[in-house]
Order: sequence, then C-alpha cells, then structure tokens
Amino acid sequence: MPGIMGFYPFGEGRENWDASRFLYYGLTALQGRGEACTSIALIDNESKQISVHTKNSHVEEFYKLLSGNKVRGYIGVGQVSPSEDDGLVEVESPTRLVLAGDGKPSYEGERGEAFRRLAERLSTLLAEKNDPLDAAAQVISEAGVGFSFIALTENEEMICCRDPLGVKPLEVGAVGFDLGIVSSESAALDVVGATHSGPIQAGECVVFDPLSIRRRKQGISNRRAYCAFEYVYLARADSYINDIPIYAVRERIGEVLAEEKDVEGDVVIGVPETALPFALSYSRKKSIPVKLGFMRTGRHVRSALKPTQFERLMGVQLKLNPIKAAIDSKDIVLIDDSVVRGNTLKNTVLNLRRRGAKRVHVRVGSPAIISHCPFGTEVPPIDELIGRALSEDEIAEIIGADSFSYLSIDGLVKAIGLPKHMLCLGCFTGEYPSKEEVR
Amino acid sequence: MKILGVGSGAREHAIAKKLSESRYNPKIYWVGENRNPGILRICERSGGEFIQGSATDPEFVGSTAKRLGVDFVFVGPEEPNFHGVPDRLEALKIPCIGANRSVALIEMSKAEMRRLQWEYDVPGKLLFQTFKSAEEAYATLQRYSETLTWLQNVALKPARQAGGKGVKVVEDRQIYLHEEKQRFKSKHVGWLEGYMRGYGDIEDKILVEENVWGPEYTLQCFTDGKTVLGMPMVQDNKNAHEFDIGTETGGMGSISGPDMCLPFLTMSEYEASLRIVEKMVSAIQDKTGKRYHGVVAGQMMLTEVEGPTIIEMYSRLGDPEALNVLHTLKNDLVDVCLAIIDERLSGVRLEFENKAVVVKAIAPKGYPDNRRLAAGHPVEVDEARIAEGGCELFWASCSLQEDGRIVSAGSRLVEILASDETLPEASARIEKVISAVRLADGWGLFHRSDIGSEELLKRRAELAERVRRLYHYRLEKGTIGKRVDWLPGVGKVDPVKMLKEGLRR
Repeated sequence: MPGIMGFYPFGEGRENWDASRFLYYGLTALQGRGEACTSIALIDNESKQISVHTKNSHVEEFYKLLSGNKVRGYIGVGQVSPSEDDGLVEVESPTRLVLAGDGKPSYEGERGEAFRRLAERLSTLLAEKNDPLDAAAQVISEAGVGFSFIALTENEEMICCRDPLGVKPLEVGAVGFDLGIVSSESAALDVVGATHSGPIQAGECVVFDPLSIRRRKQGISNRRAYCAFEYVYLARADSYINDIPIYAVRERIGEVLAEEKDVEGDVVIGVPETALPFALSYSRKKSIPVKLGFMRTGRHVRSALKPTQFERLMGVQLKLNPIKAAIDSKDIVLIDDSVVRGNTLKNTVLNLRRRGAKRVHVRVGSPAIISHCPFGTEVPPIDELIGRALSEDEIAEIIGADSFSYLSIDGLVKAIGLPKHMLCLGCFTGEYPSKEEVR
Repeated sequence: MKILGVGSGAREHAIAKKLSESRYNPKIYWVGENRNPGILRICERSGGEFIQGSATDPEFVGSTAKRLGVDFVFVGPEEPNFHGVPDRLEALKIPCIGANRSVALIEMSKAEMRRLQWEYDVPGKLLFQTFKSAEEAYATLQRYSETLTWLQNVALKPARQAGGKGVKVVEDRQIYLHEEKQRFKSKHVGWLEGYMRGYGDIEDKILVEENVWGPEYTLQCFTDGKTVLGMPMVQDNKNAHEFDIGTETGGMGSISGPDMCLPFLTMSEYEASLRIVEKMVSAIQDKTGKRYHGVVAGQMMLTEVEGPTIIEMYSRLGDPEALNVLHTLKNDLVDVCLAIIDERLSGVRLEFENKAVVVKAIAPKGYPDNRRLAAGHPVEVDEARIAEGGCELFWASCSLQEDGRIVSAGSRLVEILASDETLPEASARIEKVISAVRLADGWGLFHRSDIGSEELLKRRAELAERVRRLYHYRLEKGTIGKRVDWLPGVGKVDPVKMLKEGLRR
C-alpha cells in the first residue's frame, strides 16, 4: 500500500517550479504508507527528459543521498513503499513512461510485476491511440480491480487512474492558479499547501497535459470496494478518503467498541498513534478517563510495517515506553488499532503489568485479520495470523490480558458509514471484490 | 427602432438575442472584430447588419452609429469603455448603455478601484500596495517576507484589467516551502512588469493584494447613475481546469439560481453586496463628476475578515455571467435600456424567472496562455443536437469566414447554457451535448465537467459555511475588517492604519 503523489504546474512560468521540493514534503507526509523504498521521477526544465531516482530508504535519507546529484524538474511523480526495491516502474518504449502505483492490478505476478505489465500496456496503448484519455480508459477496463496509479509520460502527460471499484484511494488538490497535485491521501495535499478538491472517482481517469485536464468516468454500477483497512489503519487521521474524514471514522470506531462489549476500568489508554482517536471517543462514551499511556522514543515508525520480527519488536519497545504514573495500580482498558500476529501486543501488555497495571482489558479497533490482501497490502502468511487461528478468549490468555475483543465487522461498517456493498472487507472476511462485479 | 451593439463574444451574442426579442422589434446592428455567427444571424433576421471592425475605436463606432441613425448603442465588453467609446457617443448625442471612460476606471485600474474604495470607506476592502516596477515590488515582498502576514500571502496582479490574465496567488504559509514560493513571486513580478509594458494608459504596474479565501460570486447591476438594480447572483469558475486547478481565465462557466441567491449564499449577503456596489457607483461618480449609465458588477468573495468583499469591479456584464441573468430576465431589455438612458430606473422593477442556470465554456487547447495555438481551427457544431438536448448555444471567440467556414479566434470557442430545476440537472444536460462541438482538424477542446455538479456545489457550500461562521463571529465581536500584526523588533502594527497613512501621503 504505497503512497503516491504527482505534481503538475500550469500556465505562465510553469517551468519555474521545483517539483522535487513539493514531492519531498508530500511523500514525507505519506510515509505512514511505507518507508522502505522512496522513488521519484522528474521532467527536467530544459531537456524535457524524465529522470528516475530510487533508493531503499525513507524520504529524508533518500533526499540526502540524492543531494549530490542534480534533481530538478517542474513536473514529477513519487512513491513511498513498505517493500524494498519497490520503486517507480519504468517503460522505455513505445512510449517512455514512469508509473507510481498503489495496490495491485489484476495482472499475473507480484505487485511490481503486475504494475510492470500495466505500464507496458499503457505505453503500447498510448502509442496506438491518438487520445491518451482513450488509452487510460482502456487500461482501466483491462486491468481488473485493486489499484490506483499516476503515470508520467515523455510527452509531459500525467495520467491518473483508479480501478472501477475504487479499492485504493487517489485525491486531487490545487494550489492557486498554478498547480495540480494528486496524492494517495489528502493530508499530503494539506502539507504542501494545496486546497483539497476531492477524490478521483472509482473507474475514473484524469489526464493532465500542458494545456488541459480532461477526465472520463466509466459507466459503472454503484458497487464500490473502498479498502476498509484505509479507514482503520492505513490512512492518516487528518486525511479525507472518498469524502469521508478518517478521524471521524476512528472516533466512531471508539464509540462502537464501547457499545459492543462491556468492561469496567479506571483508565483508557490508546496505543499510539493510530489508536488514539479510538481511545478518546471510547473514554467519552464510557465516561472512563483517558490517559496518555506511552512515550515514544526515536522517529515515528509504523510497527506493523516493519519487515522483520526483530525490527518490529524493537520498534515497539522503542516506541512504547509505558508511563508508570498513568497506569500504576489501575484497571486499564487498552485500545489498539489492529492485531496481526499478536506478539507486539503481548509485549505491550507485559510492559503495562510490570509498571503496575492491575487489570488489562484489550480492545481492538478493527475486526480480526484472517486473510491475505490480493491488492498488495502486505499481510503475513495466513498461518501466522493470530485472529485466524485463535478465539478472542485464547488470544487474551496468550497475550496475558484479562479480556480481549475485536471490533465486529458490522461495527466497522457502521463506523465507516457506508453500506457493505461499497467496501472491501477482504482481510477480515476472506471475500474479495472481483473484476466480474465491475458492471 | 435601431440598436447598435459593440463586441463579438458570447456575452454580446446573449445581449443581441435579448434585444432582438423585444416588443419594439428593433433592427439589430453590431460592430465587432470577429464575425460571430450567432450575432450575424440575429442581425440578419432583424433586418440589421453586422459590421466587422474595431470595437475599441471610438471614431469608428461613433461614425457607424451616426451613419445608421441608431436609437442607442449597447457596449458589451470592457475595452471599448476604457477606450472611450461611450464618451465619443455622448459627444455625438447618441444614447449609450456603457460606462464612460472616467467611471470605467473602477474596472480599468484595479489599483485606482482599491484607492477609491479606501478613500470612500466602502466595505469589503483588501489591503493592497501598488508598484511601478518589479524591482520595487520585489524589494517590499522580500523585506516583509518573514514578518508582515499579509505580504506573505498575496495575490500578484497586473494593476490594469488585462482580460483576467496574469493573476497569481501565492500563499507562503509553509516555512519549508518558503524559498520555493519566494523564487516564484520574484519571477512573477518580473513577468508582470514585462506584461504591463504593453499598456501605456496607466501609471501603476503591479498590484499586490492580501490573499483571501472563500466562495466567489458576481453581482451584476444595471445603473442610471441614480439607481442601482441588482440581478441574480452568479458564480463564475475562473480556474481553467477540472478540480479548480490551473490558470486564471475569463471564466470557464457559471451557475445561478434557482432564485436571486446562489444555493450557498444568503439573502443578507446579497443585500450587503448590493450596498457595496451602490456605494462604489456613488464614489466613482463623486470622484469624477461623471454619470454612470450602463452595467456595473462586483466580482466578490465572502471573506473571513470582511464578509462580502470586492475582488474586482466590472464596468459591464460578465462573460459568461451575462448569459445566466439575461436568460432569466423577464423584463424587455430595451425597456430597461430606455429607462437607463432617461434616468428613470427607479421606476423599473427587474423580474427574473426562478430557474437554475448553468453555462459552460468550451475552449480550444492553448487558451488562455497560448492563444496562438488556440486560434485558426475550423469549427464544427451540431446545433440541432444541442437544441434537442434542451440547451442553448452561444458563439464566442469564433469568426465566420467569407467561404462559410467558422474558425476559432483564440479565446473561448462557444458557451452552452442549460436551465432546469436544479444546477446538477442543468449541468448534466450540457454534458450530454458537449461532443456536439468539435474542431474539424482534430485539435483538442476542453471544458469543465465539474461546474454545477453536486460535488462542486457541496464543496462550495462547505467553504461558504466555514467563512460565514468566521465573519459572523467578527461581526458579533466588532472586529470585522480589523487586522493586527507584530513586527519583531518594531512592535504591534496595524496594517490598516499603515495603509491609510500611505494613501494620505
């Protein structure tokens, strides 16, 4: 579930803009979606050539590594990914293009391979068809479901597409009379000073060229498959996805959690950062005070994304030092965002006990993850998923909690506020949207 | 009765149509640079004539009007006003609907307009500063770039009305993008200086105004100098492209209705805006000692600091906004014109149909920045399909050639209007017939599908509500129009006081 961004200037003096500065801050804002690999492509102000830069590092380090080179350009796309060597896809001919992609199209192979096939197909169609909008529309109709992408061509076109069910997000913003910016999340638009204009619709393609922006919506049914995990965990709390504010969803999740299973406690504590809005509204709903339970050390690292177990545990231990004064001799309701393997949570509960917590009741703001994601979000092999293998009571026993429960699937749907037929709940149910449902 | 119109865009096509529908059955004559096929047809049908020629040449328009012996002249665009076409007609004792050169200054000089507004204390002001060179502008921007809030977040404009060109908005609120914005500002003031060299009729070159945010709207009014009669509010969309992205244009499409107000504005905002336009008309008449006969419009924005605020003034109907109001105007336009000429507008009641109206412009690629690219393409329009779709076609920047071909002239090609119960329904109606307009040589066209759409209306309403809460709060607290700032090392400063002192000097 990488974060992608495109930067496109218009009008008098458009060559004066430096896209790389905007991508730097925009991609930094998207880093919650992945930081193992950073990749940007820029069209040079003078030569009009596309240059591509990819490094297995987070954004800040990426730019430090690049600083010796000349990285300037007035049009650009960028991507941050949770997997190493997962940079922008480049196709040389017949039409040279680079592509930033989120999710995974329904082509054969792994994510990178599937996007390569899509990019090659787009390159061919661009050469065959007069209108890039026709090429983009055809790619959308051929590539199945589960992807968003931003492609930059040698002809200075920026082509932005979302699959027909809208699984992966893509949002648009504007700066003054000059800039168009496209991003996985609206928060990245805020960070670079853009005004959020709204989402690209499911099945829609938008083509930027130096003289116009044109868009085409495919005639589709009202079936959508917006990724529910975006609302629970992936997206930033300050983003809007599909016109729905993430923060409001997370507040409702906390309320639903409070309604679903009763528990007594002295203090509500949220696991930073994602679960904090859950904890705040849970506390309000139950009239149990909320406290700051942990202090973080070091850079913000999203623990579920770390590649190895060691790094994950280290990430958690560094990140979450319990605040003794907040928990000592208290009955705690601990709210977390999601549970994948369960080992980080086990550690957290243990740490709370050591600092004097009397009871620890764990509530999780998402349903049990029981299945993989066919759209590129990295989920461990299914035999490692604790929610698939064990019941809630068993999990409580293993992680050493006094009680443990997930948010129900219906509760999640209620919190998001969209009907089920508009969501992809695949990682919670094992049932996935398919391309047969497109029309 | 004989009427002569001036100008050859879609606005003038709409004016010609409305005049031709009058109960006086006037013969319609027209002067314009481009042989607009729509106006041409109306002239022919009414027994009048289209005369190709300079709309901005007072001698030419004056002598033509005299030769034809017309009852009055209706000037469409702003440039003939700036060039003194109405003044020439007045000298010839030919009645004219059109702001004379003196009063049209409120549009021609954005700098003079702002000075006048501050001098007469008309509400809805913006902080501003004018410059005679790029160097001077840049020095000031640089000096205060990290201190005076309003000079960090600015609109950079040519000081003269220049067909909606050259306006840039630079918000420098992210310290980490400061260098980038600063560099862009300096490049743009340089560009403005060069651009303004083309206009010798004004001393100020560059206008820097505080940047504001909020929903924009246009309030167009008829005036005879004594009475100002408001028409329904219209919202134009200035950004060239979808999602409110891209270069400032003359307007890519406009919405109005279903009543006098837009769905996201209130009647009290309408009234306040009308008072502002009235005050500006009195101010410019008082300042110049000249009578204002014609159309005046406030291109306005609801802002946090001032509530209804003037962005610019128009000395004519807006284009495309003219199409919206003329479509629903129930009065005979000729009657309105005669009342303006005789200065008895106070006895006229304007009436409008309650309809939602959407207008969308279709432009050749290249508009607005590379008009050479946009010009010279053969145009094909399936007029029957547009009519069958319940839409109305207005020809804009097109010229009918001797051989019968229609060729694009570089600006917006045509404008399509639809009305319905709601704005999204009218918008959808237009979308169905957009493909009826094409360029025969395959050159690309663009328009904005989002104008009048449910999504865009929702966003506008949300924006208006956010601003309204803020300015209402200021009204309550009595801080409307107040700005305070802090210059480290200097102390607390009042930018309004600074500006007023500057004006007195």
